[in-house]
Amino acid sequence: MKKADTNACFTEVNAIVSQCDRCGSCLTVCPLFGEKDIESSSARGKNNLARALVHGVVQPSDEVLGMVNFCLLCRSCVDNCPNKVKTDDAMIALRQYFADKNGGPGAKYKALGLLMKNRTLVKLSAGTCNVLRKIGANALLPNGVIPSEFTRRQYLASFAGPAALGSAAPLTKQNVSQESKVAYFTGCGMQMLFPDAVAASLAALRTVTTPQVVDNHCCGLPHLAHGQRTEFLELAKQNIALFEAADRIVSDCASCSGTLKHIAAYFADDPVWRERAAAFSAKVMGLSEYLVQAGYTPRKGGDAVITFHEPCHLGRGQGIKKQPRELLQATGRFVEMKGSDRCCGGAGSFHLDYPEIAAKVLEKKRSNIEQAGADIVVSECPTCLVQLQKASARSNGKFKVMHISQVI
Amino acid sequence: MISEEIKKKIRAIVGAENALDSKDECFGYSYDSSFVPLAEQHIPDLVVMPRSTEEVSGIMAIAHEYGVPVTPRGTASGRTGGSIPDNGGISLALHRMTRIIELDEGNMMVTVEAGVRTIDVYDHCAAKGLFFPPDPASWKYSTIGGNIAENAGGMRAVKYGVTSNYVMGLEVVLPDGSVINTGGKAIKNVTGYNLTQLFTGSEGTLGIVTKAILRLIPMPKLRNTIQLMFPSLDSACETIHKMLVTGVVPAAAEIMDKISLQAVSRHRKLDIDPRIEACIVLEIDAESDANLAKQAEQIKAIAAERGVQEVRVAASQQEVDDIWAIRRGLSSAIGAAAPNRFGEDISVPRNAFPETIRRIRKIAEKYDLTIAVYGHAGDGNVHPSVLCDLSKPGEEAKVHEAINEIFAVAIDVGGTLSGEHGIGITKRPHIEKALGASGVNALQLVKQAFDPKGIMNPNKIW
Ligand SMILES: Cc1cc2nc3c(=O)[nH]c(=O)nc-3n(C[C@H](O)[C@H](O)[C@H](O)COP(=O)(O)OP(=O)(O)OC[C@H]3O[C@@H](n4cnc5c(N)ncnc54)[C@H](O)[C@@H]3O)c2cc1C
Ligand code: SF4
Ligand code: SF4
Repeated sequence: MKKADTNACFTEVNAIVSQCDRCGSCLTVCPLFGEKDIESSSARGKNNLARALVHGVVQPSDEVLGMVNFCLLCRSCVDNCPNKVKTDDAMIALRQYFADKNGGPGAKYKALGLLMKNRTLVKLSAGTCNVLRKIGANALLPNGVIPSEFTRRQYLASFAGPAALGSAAPLTKQNVSQESKVAYFTGCGMQMLFPDAVAASLAALRTVTTPQVVDNHCCGLPHLAHGQRTEFLELAKQNIALFEAADRIVSDCASCSGTLKHIAAYFADDPVWRERAAAFSAKVMGLSEYLVQAGYTPRKGGDAVITFHEPCHLGRGQGIKKQPRELLQATGRFVEMKGSDRCCGGAGSFHLDYPEIAAKVLEKKRSNIEQAGADIVVSECPTCLVQLQKASARSNGKFKVMHISQVI
Repeated sequence: MISEEIKKKIRAIVGAENALDSKDECFGYSYDSSFVPLAEQHIPDLVVMPRSTEEVSGIMAIAHEYGVPVTPRGTASGRTGGSIPDNGGISLALHRMTRIIELDEGNMMVTVEAGVRTIDVYDHCAAKGLFFPPDPASWKYSTIGGNIAENAGGMRAVKYGVTSNYVMGLEVVLPDGSVINTGGKAIKNVTGYNLTQLFTGSEGTLGIVTKAILRLIPMPKLRNTIQLMFPSLDSACETIHKMLVTGVVPAAAEIMDKISLQAVSRHRKLDIDPRIEACIVLEIDAESDANLAKQAEQIKAIAAERGVQEVRVAASQQEVDDIWAIRRGLSSAIGAAAPNRFGEDISVPRNAFPETIRRIRKIAEKYDLTIAVYGHAGDGNVHPSVLCDLSKPGEEAKVHEAINEIFAVAIDVGGTLSGEHGIGITKRPHIEKALGASGVNALQLVKQAFDPKGIMNPNKIW
């Protein structure tokens, strides 16, 4: 790795972590410290380890990389920190440092990065997942990687109230101007794991606009999170070029919309791409954010009690908190659960890397969903949905899991 | 270095997963919330996380036998380096001892383990209408053991006092591993020396507090918040003084100077008049609406006589929150105002408050530094916050000189080095100025009696 890159990376990390006063506020909110209460699990521990690494007090090692990887990037710490120390950004930058130093992010993340970079492979995987699901083989795979989807059809069949029995509630009429060109951004996770939800998102969008479906690339978050910044930037450029004609880019995956909104920041110093990237990011919207603004009228959902799990990348990541709740309140019996904005432990591939801890983090979520008395837990992020499916199974099906587009 | 043999013995007591010895994991136990530079942080050789008094006792017996230094640790929110293992050895992290053992409503006392977080003690008792008043600003994450070791104070100290006013009895593991109980539930107790008070504030240098019996009081039924803005610092301080001497005792009386206020104003995008020199935030409490209203009227009258510019008595919970947001947002506002800051803690006689602030201003001018000053005006506890940029050459040395002068001012006006953060490592060089050589010697004799081998949190206080 070039020395200049290490310096840039360390300068970035140092600027972030030197703001940490080591007060300890973050200990109380970090879901990982909540499960594994040793200092390196917490934001304070990570920031100060990073500080020591940058200043040469601690040497880079696999153990340090392990601590850097052991982070949900959920930003609960950032939200709660008096100094707003961006622990998540520092960890992403350090993952990049380690990946550069070690010649890549490790075989698993490399493979994942490669898969997500390739549109054909993503589509193929989506097909495979569907086949596996149809023959029931998905249940045989470990860690619930490919969950069974709970579809709108099943939802209506099992939860429809008397008024909606027999047929779906009528859809709302379009009430936004047709002038803005709205493009739908298909997330890889959504495409591979939740095709019914993708269809529902498009259906909801169609009631207010004529969404274009662009054959987009992966948003690049998996690459960014695992030290493949070059790949991330490459994908970003391709997506910027693909969506130039759209006025609005709507994604039903919180991680995608969050990442795409932040793309501008990564090109701020790039004279060629700066403006195009800024224009691109400014156009991105989360599904519920767009629908509320477009005046979408949610369909009546029947008598099921619905609660909302707020994805980290939606609430803390984009400040989209009230829109999904507004939509759900209009759709039926909405209840707010305790700790609705607490990370579910999914966090991209975290749940695959640390299944035991992720399961413990999820256990609290399950208990909160059950305590809320919900029949359905709704979210707006495929990784969250995967995690929540596991919680549903653990609860012996006391509640079902759906994407927000499937219930509104 | 701790030998493998010792580690093995300790692991046999607490279980392998509760004793960390990898250098990278141990690094996380080399700092607290003080401004000890990275180079002076000391990494422990072993981090041990016990869950019971028996385990603590077993660990101490081994440490004593082999002469291994032990540094107790709550959640390391301390501001003076108290939980930094200055001599290496064992960092004894007590945050897993979190049982609330008994809430004795009849005697109005609660017995808790040392690792319980302060807020959890408060919440547990509040659910039964009982009040545990000590409220350090770190109460959401600091432990009761840490509060006892530092004799932590908080905003409510004016009316309700500090931690030591609520500690009735302790269970302490001494450096040789023996377990003693001090004090108890009897309200009057003159059987022997008052070891309970001796351990409270001893900064973990005499033994390890494992349990505490804490006194509770009835929860005040009603409370309200008042904000007073003054065009002069003196009139703000006089207002507090007059209130207290006429018997209007607020639960909290916080003061912020102009620099602090402007920092909050910028940070939270508030529109605070730049002519305001001082802001006071008061919490009053009472048993009846009539009494609450009466206190508010009295305060308004006293403030009006002293030229208050703006008075705001909260009329809703939202207003209460808005007013407190100014005070609670101070720490982050000051943090955001400069790349680095050093938050200090001195305590002066209440009527020396204005003079202390004036002299701190002069120090700021002399060193060309910005120093925000705020504090618990009701009890004379001043927190000067030096804003600086340590990346500038010579800045750190300058900051330290300025802080030394601030300490000298505190002692000069009849005050002391610390009101709540303790001495730890960072104020060690100044202790003799505060207590004199014989004073320090007397402390050392006490230490010698409890810890002849000097293994208990060495190199702290002096
Ligand atoms: C943002 C912020 C605000 C703060 N506000 C206040 C405030 O308003 N008032 C105030 O008084 N302090 C305040 N503090 C300082 C600090 O939070 C308190 O001193 C607190 O009581 C420390 O508790 P802890 O559990 O973090 O202890 P630690 O920092 O872990 O330890 C403090 C000292 O106690 C010893 N110790 C810890 N546990 C035990 C035990 N069980 N037995 C024996 N010794 C032990 C340690 O060895 C060390 O010397 C603040 C700190 C921060 C970061
Ligand atoms: S809350 Fe922020 S400043 Fe405090 S320890 Fe955590 S990261 Fe550091
Ligand atoms: S981002 Fe989440 S998991 Fe990572 S340190 Fe912060 S709170 Fe903990």
